[in-house]
Amino acid sequence: MSAFVTLEDVKKSYHMGEVEILAAAGMDFTIEKGEFAVVVGPSGAGKTTVLNILGGMDTATSGNVWVDGENIATYKAKKLTAYRRDDIGFVFQFYNLIPNLTALENVELALQICKNPMDAREVLEEVGLGERTDNFPAQLSGGEQQRVSIARALAKNPKLLLCDEPTGALDYNTGKSILKLLQDTCRKKGMTVILITHNQAIAPMADRVIKIKNGKVAEIVENKNPVSVDTIEW
Amino acid sequence: MKVTHKDFLMELKKSPGRFLSMLFIVALGVAFFSGIRASEPSMRVTGDAYFDGADLMDVKAVSTLGITGEDIQVFNEADTIEKAEGAYSADVLSDTKDDQFVLHMMTLPKNMNKVTVSKGRMPEKAGECLADEEMDYKIGDRIVVKSGTDDPLSDTLTTDTYTVVGIGNSPCYISFNRGSTTIGKGTIDGFLVVSEDTFALDTYTEACMQVKGTKTLTAYTDAYEKKVEKATDQIETLGKKRGRIRRQELVDEANDKIAKAEKKLEKGKKTSGEKLKKAEKKIKDGEKKLSAGKKELADGRQKLVNARKTLKAKEKELDQGEKEYRAGKAQLRAGRQKLKKGWSEYRANEAQYEQMSAQMAGIEAATSQLAEAKAKLEAGKKELEASEAKLTASERKLAKAKSKLKSGRKQIKNAYREILEQEKKLTKGEQEFTESEKKLEKAKASYKKGKKEAQEKIKKAEKKVSDAKKKVADIPKAKWYIADRNDLPEYTGYGENADRMRAIGKVFPVIFFLVAALISLTNMTRMVEEQRTQIGTMKALGYGKAAIASKYIGYALLASAIGSVMGFLIGEKIFPFIIIYAYGIMYLHIPEILIPYHWGYAAFASGVAVACTLLATIEACYRELGGTPAVLMRPPAPKIGRRVFLERIGFLWKHLSFTWKSTVRNLMRYKKRFFMTIFGIGGCMALMLVGFGLRDSIFEIADLQYSEIQYYDGSVYLKENLTEKEIDNLDDFLTKDSDVIRHMKAKMQSVTLAKGKKKRATYECVFGEPEDVRDYVHFRDRRSHTPYKLTDDGAIISEKTAKLLNAKAGDTIRIKDEENGDKKVKILKICENYMGHYLYLTPACYEKIYGEKLEYNCFLFTIRDGYSQKQKEDAGKKILARKEVLNVSYMHEIREQLDDMLKSLNLVIVVLIISAGMLAFVVLYNLNNINIAERQRELATLKVLGFYDQEVGAYVYRENLILTLIGAGVGIGIGRILHLFIIQTVEVDAAMFGRNINPPSYLYSFLFTVLFSIIINGVMYFKLRKIDMVESLKSVE
Repeated sequence: MSAFVTLEDVKKSYHMGEVEILAAAGMDFTIEKGEFAVVVGPSGAGKTTVLNILGGMDTATSGNVWVDGENIATYKAKKLTAYRRDDIGFVFQFYNLIPNLTALENVELALQICKNPMDAREVLEEVGLGERTDNFPAQLSGGEQQRVSIARALAKNPKLLLCDEPTGALDYNTGKSILKLLQDTCRKKGMTVILITHNQAIAPMADRVIKIKNGKVAEIVENKNPVSVDTIEW
Repeated sequence: MKVTHKDFLMELKKSPGRFLSMLFIVALGVAFFSGIRASEPSMRVTGDAYFDGADLMDVKAVSTLGITGEDIQVFNEADTIEKAEGAYSADVLSDTKDDQFVLHMMTLPKNMNKVTVSKGRMPEKAGECLADEEMDYKIGDRIVVKSGTDDPLSDTLTTDTYTVVGIGNSPCYISFNRGSTTIGKGTIDGFLVVSEDTFALDTYTEACMQVKGTKTLTAYTDAYEKKVEKATDQIETLGKKRGRIRRQELVDEANDKIAKAEKKLEKGKKTSGEKLKKAEKKIKDGEKKLSAGKKELADGRQKLVNARKTLKAKEKELDQGEKEYRAGKAQLRAGRQKLKKGWSEYRANEAQYEQMSAQMAGIEAATSQLAEAKAKLEAGKKELEASEAKLTASERKLAKAKSKLKSGRKQIKNAYREILEQEKKLTKGEQEFTESEKKLEKAKASYKKGKKEAQEKIKKAEKKVSDAKKKVADIPKAKWYIADRNDLPEYTGYGENADRMRAIGKVFPVIFFLVAALISLTNMTRMVEEQRTQIGTMKALGYGKAAIASKYIGYALLASAIGSVMGFLIGEKIFPFIIIYAYGIMYLHIPEILIPYHWGYAAFASGVAVACTLLATIEACYRELGGTPAVLMRPPAPKIGRRVFLERIGFLWKHLSFTWKSTVRNLMRYKKRFFMTIFGIGGCMALMLVGFGLRDSIFEIADLQYSEIQYYDGSVYLKENLTEKEIDNLDDFLTKDSDVIRHMKAKMQSVTLAKGKKKRATYECVFGEPEDVRDYVHFRDRRSHTPYKLTDDGAIISEKTAKLLNAKAGDTIRIKDEENGDKKVKILKICENYMGHYLYLTPACYEKIYGEKLEYNCFLFTIRDGYSQKQKEDAGKKILARKEVLNVSYMHEIREQLDDMLKSLNLVIVVLIISAGMLAFVVLYNLNNINIAERQRELATLKVLGFYDQEVGAYVYRENLILTLIGAGVGIGIGRILHLFIIQTVEVDAAMFGRNINPPSYLYSFLFTVLFSIIINGVMYFKLRKIDMVESLKSVE
């Protein structure tokens, strides 16, 4: 399989006053289409930076970011927006649902701007929220909210599903079920999923584990036989 | 430096926008509040400074008996009076080419009412004057004045021609109005300042006085008024006393004069009596003499007659003698002839004899015969010779008699001559006598005349004296008229304008201030809420509530305090300046605008601003500080989304996009913000609407009044006591006048209406032809525009009048009549009217009410359409030239005056509109800012989801737009109420301002609000673009 996502010497530096912080100090890795990739590393290692760059929310200071044959590192703001709109699905640690919209509407919100959307209700059913479509986020539990968030991301039919610590704010069981949902999605739909976590324990469920340390890729492990989340305990 | 302090400073550094916007909004609020409020006292101070600078008198006293130096002295010594000075003044007329000016000539007291000389110099001697700057006189112009009354000008003034030597203005006249008078057209056009020797009066016409202690007080204030009132009371008392003295003086003076006159009269009587007596005696003497002369003359005459008689007798004698002589002579002649005959007989005899002798010589017989014949002849010769001798003797005798006769004749002739001479003399004497007689006659006549004259003179003098005596008794009691500054034209108007400013200042800035306070409150609450995590951290670290809160309190304090100080420092200068400047259009001569700080307003506004913000901050802090650190460090539970009413309407809701749905729900969710925004925007909209509305209501009245309600062009006032025929003549003239399309007889008079205890001076207007009234005045209801008809059953009354009298249609009101008792009138309708007060009647109704015949005193007229103002005035002049006409007044003149008056309000309104606009701007900016800040996360999410910037913008704008629209709607409501309130406070009694706001004003205020909204949203767009997704969505701190 060819590389779907390729990062070539991606660097990202922030200026904090007079100090220059290198959040990404030249990262290189590739992820193939349909893979469930997990980026792990300690806090401040630069995983979120990588995800932001990949998601078009941030631009690299230097280096190339190839996604499905396009170098998004060269994109300008507007093109990046289009890229986010059409190619990327995002799942946040804190869900970031629009509090004023019901679960269904939150999904539909994303679909409204999408070229090739799925049916919102269907997607919600897929994530197991068929019964709660008309509830507002505040009326849903954290896990349910995260499911809505995932449904919102999936409904856009993105090329890439990016998840930033999706279980970070959830309890163990809920977190596990969310991970399962993501894994299943990846497997069933052939969706390329990149998940950021500081939890090394979930590495075995991934097709590819990219370990990051101090802004650099420390190790890339290809897991030939990923296990189901159900079997993982932490 | 303590870390907490550093944190505080960092806070300022980090978000200067928030700090500044808060500072500015407080500044704006305080500036507007204190500025507009300060305008009123600043206006008073400005006026006062001008009055003090010019040493304007506080009180002017006028006495009907004139004011003497002593009076002035007494006033000067009064304890409430700082100083008193006498002055002269008189109103006169001055004809120009095509107009007549009424001029007020006055002298200046030395130390008061100083005139500002703008050109030239002050008058120094009689015949010079300083002319009013408002008039078109130039230096060097000659002004000829004449008396406006029946008394000659020389009674008052020493000269009637004045050369303009200077141009200036007087503090007595701060505006265009120069006051009224009893002469000419009734209003004064301008003043002339002249020197004292211009006046030919014994006493001052007025006493100008300054009240002790008023110089330090501000004019128009209660303290000032009170002081002046006290002084006025004293002057009144003094005046009464002085009046009695003055009257006594006049009485004494008059009595003195009378006494003198009486003495003179006495003397005159005596001398004239003496003279008459002398004359009488002379006449008597003359008469005596004349009678003597007469006798003498008569005697003379007699004598002459006698002499003539004797002479005649003598003559007769002489004639007799002559006759005798002539007879003698004839005898003599006969004798002589006889003799001659004798002789010739003798000779013949002799010859005969000789012949015979010769013949007979021979014949002696014959010789005897011859001797006998010779003897005979001899005897004859002897006889002849004897008779001749006898004849000669008688001839001699006769000659003697002749000479005697001759001398007698001569004597008689002489005597005759003498008699003639005597006669001549006598005639002359007689002539002389007649002359004397005539003279005497004349003397007698002149004596008679003289006597009569003298008697008459005496009688007259006596009458004069008695008249004078009577007059003395009639010398009226001195009446004093004491006027304070309020009687100066426009002086009160200035104060009223200040009051009007106060009325505006009472409401307008309060709303402004409320909005500002609300925004700063929201701002602070928002800030505290934003920093709840930090508060939690601080709390967790063990800081006390006070220490944590102090940061926010300090922040709020700093922002509001600096804002307040800036606000009142700037506001109390700018707003009063603009407003007084605006009024300067009307009060041209107030030279300097004084805008001191009014610390009271400053302190009040600042205090309230700071207190509001602080309380809001404390409240917000208190709420947040109540939570445990753990709770605080977690993000606040998002507010529960709620279904809104709109969702029930399924088909509508389904058609809404999600962004719309979100918008609608958002609006409903943040109720506090919703109402604040609505109130903020509504308030601004309301303020702008009030600004525009004020303009509408105020400026429209001229249009409404003179284009829709009273649309005749003018009125012709008739002279008093015209006969009906004269009025008809003028009527005919107007009918024929091609300039006038229509005209109507009318009666206009000022009456006082009363209802209950309320009274109001009103113009009573009776139309000659009530059927045609529609062509002159349109009676209608203000709201519904339902036209009314004037009927004989009662009166139509103007709206403001009715309101002031608290009268409704159907009520009966009274027309005050002190002499004949009040008349009752029933009000049928109340009509729209903006300027002045009117009571309209039909002639029949008038006659019913008054019970007397209606006498018209004016004509209303309308000039042909399309005439320019000049043409109209020319047409009016033609009418004015008629002898029946007293005065012609034009509606457009009144309208211009009104426009002038209102012009000054225009700038004030512009200030209000601009301020309201600025406020709207700041409010919208703040609200949007807060909106975006609060929803940064949400917006970032949208961005991550791939919403383009415009789409994200639209998401926010939609909400703002709706809020703006709702706010504007609410603003219209608030604005209407506010407008109505302000209009009623600002309104003067004489006028009713419009109650309406015109559609364009709604549109303008709305467009402005929307425009501001759009501008703000434009600015916000950049802010939206700047939202950093990464930063915003980072796990919550």
